[in-house]
Amino acid sequence: MSTALAGGRWIRADLRARKGQATLTVLAVAGIVAALITAVTLLEDGTNPWRNLSAQTDGAHVWLYTKDSPQVAVGEIDGVTDTAGPYRSAPVTVAQDGKKEPASLRAMSAARPLVAHPVVAEGRWLDSTQLDGVVVERSFASSLRLRVGAPFTIIALSGERHTLYVRGIADSAEQGFYPEWTPGLAWVLPTMLERIEPMLGRSEWVTGLRLADPDSAQLVSQRVVVMLEDQLQRVYTWREVRAAMELDNRLLGTLLALFGVVGLVAAALALANAAGGRVLGQLRDLATLKSLGFTGGQVALLLLVEHGALGLLGVGIGTLAGWGVAVAFLGVSVPPMPMLAIVAGTALVVLAAVGVPAWRGGRTPPIPDAPVAPPRGHLSRMARLALLVRLPPALVLGTRDAFTRRVPAFLTVFGLAVPMMMITIGLGVWSTLDGFLSHPEQVGQHASLYVKPGKLDPAEARRVAVEDPDVRAVYPGTDVNALAPGEARSVRVRALGTTGEPYPFPVVEGRMYGRPGEAVAGQGLLDLLGLKIGDRVRLTVGGSPLIVRIVGRTVEPDLDGEVLSVGLDSLAAKDSVPPEHYALALRPGADPGEVRARLLAESAESLEVQRVVNPADRLAVIRVVIVALIVVLALIGLANLLTASALGLRDHALDLAVLKAMGLTPRQVMATLVTGTGLLVVLGVAAGTAAGVSMVTGLIDLQGHTSGVGAGIGRAPSALTLTLAVLAAVGAALTVALIPARRAARAQVPVTAR
Amino acid sequence: MNPVVKTVSLVKIYSGGAVPVPAVRGVDLQVEPGEFVAIMGPSGSGKSTLVHMLGGLDARTSGEIWLDDQRVDTLSESAWALLRRKKIGFMFQFFNLVANMTVADNVELPALLAGVSPKDARERREHLLGALNLSERADAAPGQLSGGEQQRVALARALANQPSVLLTDEPTGNLDSRNTRDVLRLLSDVHKEGQTIIMVTHDARVASLADRLVSLFDGEIVDDGRIARRRTGTAGAVIDLR
Repeated sequence: MSTALAGGRWIRADLRARKGQATLTVLAVAGIVAALITAVTLLEDGTNPWRNLSAQTDGAHVWLYTKDSPQVAVGEIDGVTDTAGPYRSAPVTVAQDGKKEPASLRAMSAARPLVAHPVVAEGRWLDSTQLDGVVVERSFASSLRLRVGAPFTIIALSGERHTLYVRGIADSAEQGFYPEWTPGLAWVLPTMLERIEPMLGRSEWVTGLRLADPDSAQLVSQRVVVMLEDQLQRVYTWREVRAAMELDNRLLGTLLALFGVVGLVAAALALANAAGGRVLGQLRDLATLKSLGFTGGQVALLLLVEHGALGLLGVGIGTLAGWGVAVAFLGVSVPPMPMLAIVAGTALVVLAAVGVPAWRGGRTPPIPDAPVAPPRGHLSRMARLALLVRLPPALVLGTRDAFTRRVPAFLTVFGLAVPMMMITIGLGVWSTLDGFLSHPEQVGQHASLYVKPGKLDPAEARRVAVEDPDVRAVYPGTDVNALAPGEARSVRVRALGTTGEPYPFPVVEGRMYGRPGEAVAGQGLLDLLGLKIGDRVRLTVGGSPLIVRIVGRTVEPDLDGEVLSVGLDSLAAKDSVPPEHYALALRPGADPGEVRARLLAESAESLEVQRVVNPADRLAVIRVVIVALIVVLALIGLANLLTASALGLRDHALDLAVLKAMGLTPRQVMATLVTGTGLLVVLGVAAGTAAGVSMVTGLIDLQGHTSGVGAGIGRAPSALTLTLAVLAAVGAALTVALIPARRAARAQVPVTAR
Repeated sequence: MNPVVKTVSLVKIYSGGAVPVPAVRGVDLQVEPGEFVAIMGPSGSGKSTLVHMLGGLDARTSGEIWLDDQRVDTLSESAWALLRRKKIGFMFQFFNLVANMTVADNVELPALLAGVSPKDARERREHLLGALNLSERADAAPGQLSGGEQQRVALARALANQPSVLLTDEPTGNLDSRNTRDVLRLLSDVHKEGQTIIMVTHDARVASLADRLVSLFDGEIVDDGRIARRRTGTAGAVIDLR
């Protein structure tokens, strides 16, 4: 008790004397812990809305689309507990605020089914007394900015317009969110659907199967494929829906986790360095404490409590911040077990990091007047080199000072290198996003507008597009769904351009397709089907086989890379004539918005013109994350720097008088001190940048590979960015080192023992 | 009366380097309660080592140390630390105030450590600082004080727990003559109140303040005798010697 009282006084006094450094430590640790907790929340299924939605809606696990209402009893398949539907579904276009969005209009009765029933979030469900009512899926509604009561104008395939009114907005676990998952979903009464689309041939039937065991979805869907054969248009399982919903969360989570884990290492180093430096600087005080009656163990405990408490405070604040981010921005609670693991893990890391310096502090001999082990002062090789090339004496002395204490010097260099490496990687991610924006053709977005003929004749639509002065090229295209062999699920086949005039897909491996029967594929598709370049694959498109040889791999940001791209002439004529849409490549510098407006005006609003969504726009939040992480990493670097600078000053406080006596001007003394710290900074920053540059492309490509986009998107930061980053880091570091050095150089240094 | 401090054939040999260096070679010393002993000797004669061993800051190689009739040379480092809290006060050449703590905290620290309640520690500190004429500097940082003031604070700290023995190692070694006089006068006052003091110094003028002088040379006691008290033998006389 008495020791705690006395120790408490000492800790309080010491913390008061180094408020800045203590705050830095707390903030750095808090930032790292917050990043880790956010990462784990994002990676954990909790943030994936699918699980909740599926539970709320008693969702189906397998969805199948057929040309007619299925005549066989899919509900009899082993493991299927319930079926939803079949519901008739018709493709329409929604015209809203001048935009035209593809939608699928689903017939559902006023009495909601037991399985896969949409859950009304706003308004009401369909009512047989209100025929013109429509219920819109929530993400689709928010993308269209629809409210309950708003008019909902649709254009049927026949070109006929109908105006419905939004009765309700509902959640569904049936498909991913709009616009990642198209078409959007809306429900109407069956009689209304018949009125809008009387032609049965233009609609399809959707059936959902709820399974006893969700893991058997794969098996069940294979049975479905076998049973329905040619009737089956496409089939997908809950896994695809879940994957579609979590796309960005995973990427963000991975990024945060990477930064968090490496940041934790950096923070541990900074803590160890700070605690160690502080202990070195306090050896005399510690000896005094011992002479007053503190035992070695008590001194060690004192240091552990002081430095550990800062770290633990950081862990606490970080946990609160991470939890706040999860609740406020992600709207979910943090999974308790991983959070506990993170808190316990970081707390252990913190205590281990400060434990060693604390233990060393506890072993200080209790004779306060015994001179503290003076740093061994031999000239390093570098200093000798500096002498040889006749550098100014201040620089030589500084160079010598930099390495007199090996371990702190190493900790400083390493402690700066790790944050700098992560900052470089962050800049690489940034420049990769910039690359998406400035060179969309490298991520498969050579065309920036897609035109659907709409009411116009396809040839006429093509003419309107070709005649626009800003349109450089027009590629006819069609998207179809194909059943993959053995996979029992659909993949997207994108036919775009022709073998004679191919669409410039960004082929990063192999070559572009050169004749009918050849195809290029995204990484996701290759992984899904276990294919490699050169393999032949047989798919079924609407009943007819499509046999192609894969000759190359493209960068494919859409649909997790599960896309096969072919020339239009590789498809059967029934699927490819007339083309479903035209992809327009614009002249450099042309504004897609203007071109779109012009095309709409030219065609008297008959064309449907869609702008391509750049993946970088979708990932814009990553930039915010990068900025936040760079701030945290800079804090860690700064903490290291302050330690190095304080240690350097302490070690050389006595030398200063000697240096002045030898005839060095205050400015030269200052230069000596700054060189000592600055050299370590330059080394650390250079090493970190080099490591970052060598890793960044590989890391991004690795992430690209696992996410299905495929390797080949990673960009290292440009030389200019890197130079600026390095200059900023070194410049900031030198400024920080300059202030105490300046003060020390000008102070009247008493010639006394430390 | 039993001696406060007693050593029997105390030996210290530093064996860190290539050749073992004997610093103290068989010292038998007995200090009675209330005595003021000055230990003198040239540099390297082992006087600091002797005092450090008496306070448990340095471990003895062989021999015995008795403090208040308790054998203490066999104590562990931790037990020594606990013993120091109540029985030993230290004053060093370079003051050794804890730089980050205020003067008040520096003086209260040993009292708190000895288990005194914060309130009592505060009262004791106020009394001590008042006696040493430092009341108005209580909230200052040690760095803002002059050398003499710092040493007075160090003295207050050393006396905070009314130790059995006050060990001081060159208490005036780092002070100018004026501050030396002040500090010595205080030591003398403390001694008059019955405090046992063992002081290491290499300065004969400082040593003359004590009532017994022990001379060390090469780690052995070469002379041990009482100093004849002159009639005006107070701290003022010390200054006259310049």
